[in-house]
Amino acid sequence: MKTIKVLPLALLGTAVGIVISLVLIFTRTLPVQASAEANDIDNLYIFFLGFSGIIFGIVVLFLLVAVYRFRARPNDEREGDNVHGITWLEVVWTVIPFVIVVLCAIGGLIVLRSGDVEAQARTKGQQIHVLGYQFGWKYAYLNQDIDLKDQPTLVLPVNEPVIFELESNDVIHSFWVPAWRMQMNATPGQVNETSTTPTKIGTFEIVCAYLCGVGHTNMNSALPGSIIPKVQVVSKSDFDAWVTKQKAEAAKAAESSSAQTTTGSAG
Amino acid sequence: MTAVLKPTLARCLWVAPAFAALAILITVAARSIFGMTPVLQESTLLTVAYIAGGIGFIVGIGGFDYWFTWMKGGELDPNDHSQHGARSWGDYFKFNTDHKVIGIQYIVFTFIMFLVGGMFAEVFRSELARPGQQVLTDQQYSGLISQHGVIMIFVFMVPVFAGIGNYVIPLMIGAADMAFPRLNALSFWLLPVAAFTLLSSFMFGSFDGGWTGYPTLSEQSGYGMTLYQLGIQLAGASSIATAVNFLVTIITMRAPGMTLFRMPLLVWANLATSALVVAATPFIAGAQFMAMFDREMGTHFFTVAGGGDTLVYQHIFWFYSHPAVYIMILPGFGIISEVIATHARKPVFGYRAVAFSSAGIAILGFAVWAHHMFASGMEPWLRVPIMLSTLLIAIPTGIKIFSWLGTMWGGVLRMTTANLFAIGFIFTFVIGGLSGVMLAVVPFDVSITNSYFIVAHFHYVLFGGSIMTIYAGFYHWFPKVTGRMYNEVVGRWHFWITFVAMNITFFPMHYQGLVGMPRRVADYAPEFAWSNMVISLAAFVLGASTLIFVYNMIHSARHGKKAGANPWGGLTLEWLLSSPPPIFNFPATPRVIGGPYRYGEEGAKHAIVPEVEPATVETTV
Ligand code: HEM
Ligand SMILES: [Cu+2]
Ligand SMILES: [Cu+2]
Repeated sequence: MKTIKVLPLALLGTAVGIVISLVLIFTRTLPVQASAEANDIDNLYIFFLGFSGIIFGIVVLFLLVAVYRFRARPNDEREGDNVHGITWLEVVWTVIPFVIVVLCAIGGLIVLRSGDVEAQARTKGQQIHVLGYQFGWKYAYLNQDIDLKDQPTLVLPVNEPVIFELESNDVIHSFWVPAWRMQMNATPGQVNETSTTPTKIGTFEIVCAYLCGVGHTNMNSALPGSIIPKVQVVSKSDFDAWVTKQKAEAAKAAESSSAQTTTGSAG
Repeated sequence: MTAVLKPTLARCLWVAPAFAALAILITVAARSIFGMTPVLQESTLLTVAYIAGGIGFIVGIGGFDYWFTWMKGGELDPNDHSQHGARSWGDYFKFNTDHKVIGIQYIVFTFIMFLVGGMFAEVFRSELARPGQQVLTDQQYSGLISQHGVIMIFVFMVPVFAGIGNYVIPLMIGAADMAFPRLNALSFWLLPVAAFTLLSSFMFGSFDGGWTGYPTLSEQSGYGMTLYQLGIQLAGASSIATAVNFLVTIITMRAPGMTLFRMPLLVWANLATSALVVAATPFIAGAQFMAMFDREMGTHFFTVAGGGDTLVYQHIFWFYSHPAVYIMILPGFGIISEVIATHARKPVFGYRAVAFSSAGIAILGFAVWAHHMFASGMEPWLRVPIMLSTLLIAIPTGIKIFSWLGTMWGGVLRMTTANLFAIGFIFTFVIGGLSGVMLAVVPFDVSITNSYFIVAHFHYVLFGGSIMTIYAGFYHWFPKVTGRMYNEVVGRWHFWITFVAMNITFFPMHYQGLVGMPRRVADYAPEFAWSNMVISLAAFVLGASTLIFVYNMIHSARHGKKAGANPWGGLTLEWLLSSPPPIFNFPATPRVIGGPYRYGEEGAKHAIVPEVEPATVETTV
């Protein structure tokens, strides 16, 4: 008399789960996709929401039906069924999660691999040395011979690969650009490499994601009064113009400083 | 006057400072003899004072009295039970070797620490309620979140399970006590020392590197950071000693007839957990020793400027701290198995699968540590194997969830508060498990690691998981421990408010993290204003719901309805004893004659407790 058909309920749970998944997927909020990797990673996330909603739907439906159907009435002295297990069922619910995690692994490996392949292809793009410090970032454009100081703005050309070499001269920071779905620690004593290809023109937030001391909160370009400039992705021609200007400024600065040192040593 | 000479807290009040003062004197003398300058190096003197004061506290409370007497060649009576069992409430403030007393000491002490850690959270949630910084400076903010994490993990979550295990396990396996009662008491008394060490760091500006305390930030911090390192070592020592005790007790002291597969699943879970603790905790102790030596003795394990390596700290830290997250949930899984089976009147579905999955989690748990380091700049080849092992560990976790559902199915569910928490646990823990699977996948993890998404994940598994199991366990064994029933109506209010408030508190954090809010920040971009306000308000309600629980426990312990030996109709051994159980547990050695969950079998028994004169002390030693 207690029998409730489990299979139809599982199907119903799946249906409920699909609805939950769809709601999660269509209400998802993510930053703009501004890099070559962003789309792949977001697709992974949509896949996660898909199976998560279904598992959640099934578990919660069974939970609610069990509570509704099998709850004890007042002064109910009955005992439950003396069932210690059903082997095939246990096999099923071991195999299904296994299949899901295998799918996750495959998805993860594909995205990871394509990211790595893209990263390897990025031998030619902009090579940027990022130095994290308390509290800000300094950028050196290794193949442009530009060395920016004093809370500079990171300016990059669109659709051109960028390779970041991250370092820190004090504590661990983490260089996070949510719109690029990219994060990497800047660790003292070692150079960490990561790369991306910006695909959208605009300004994007740079967030320090690792607790680095009292200035950590403010190492976030999204904060209203932040000292950290956002990253600027510009067209190739704007970038070239910017590079020329930086070089001219750097030359001028070098001139005046060498002039100063000459007068200094003369005096 | 004699109170200050007998092993009491009053004796601690002078022995601990005396030890600290002596240590300072010796250090000053040594420093001046060897010509070290400055002779009065403040951090060195503080460190020796803390270490010696901690030992002094244990000496004061009587932790070493028995061994001192033995070393002096004094008279020792193996049947001396004067320190065993609580005959008045004052005994709970003394060195006591009764596992039931120690269990209560653990539970009450750690729960107070839970309230303290929760208060810290309420304070920094009030800072986060509105954009801008109104309440706390950056320094205070970092101090509070670090204290919150460390207090919750090291002096609440890990030891509270040791407390529940202490009370229940010897009863469940039919033993008279734990294998090493004095070591057991010593483990407990290390905890107040650890908590004092951690909390008193507020006097020195607290530690402020998060609960992870990574160098090289930890090298910059004030003296509080040394106390973090010391406090974790103390809590770790306590936890290792308890785990050794559990292992020996469970392996060697089971009642006749209790084969491994007749053990209740809580015992299985604690067996797996203790193995994890013994194997993993030395790593964090080691990491903290090295980090402390770097700070206080000028070594260079992790100081980059001296040739050290900060990444190594992260590897060692997580080699403990990932297993630690299972140390904080496996015993909870055990509680859920007990609670659901008993309140659903049905055998645990797939007993062996549940038992083996605990073991599987414990073993696999050692192969996943680097999933906390995907963006750390570690060796890139490690990413894939760690991703695969992390995904695999979700399978035994899933098996447990389905087995509990299977246990409820076809049962007769008594919707007690204990059972409500167990059912609510399944709901919330599934969410945390699913986000865990997402985080295992490297490219996704790297895109949001160190964000509020992580905070959401681990609060779903720790609050929605561990704390729900702890509450379920508290309600389940409350009648056994106090001999009285808790108030179901108040309990139900507690459950619903906690359940709803915790979901409103932690669910929106997923979205915050995905959109780009980093963790451990005192301020945020304007777009997060309303979600943070909602979270903070829910967090205040969540905090208040705890007070309902405290009221229910205190009031019911004094005025609740008498419970009788077995209010839930449980079959495991603890329910065959009176509530509260006799000081020496079983009048005579019980005999186990069947599995622990034979619900629905006509007149089935798990064990028999012979009625022998309780005065035969020999059998209870
Ligand atoms: C289904 C099983 C689980 C999987 C696959 C999983 C996976 C992960 C991963 C990959 C991370 C790293 C995220 C990052 O920092 O980028 C993480 C963080 C964390 N997990 Fe889980 N997890 C699982 C279950 C649990 C459980 C049961 C607990 C504790 C009861 C737990 C507690 C934590 C904590 C505390 C952190 C954050 C540590 C920190 O950075 O402060 N997880 N989890
Ligand atoms: Cu930072
Ligand atoms: Cu982990």
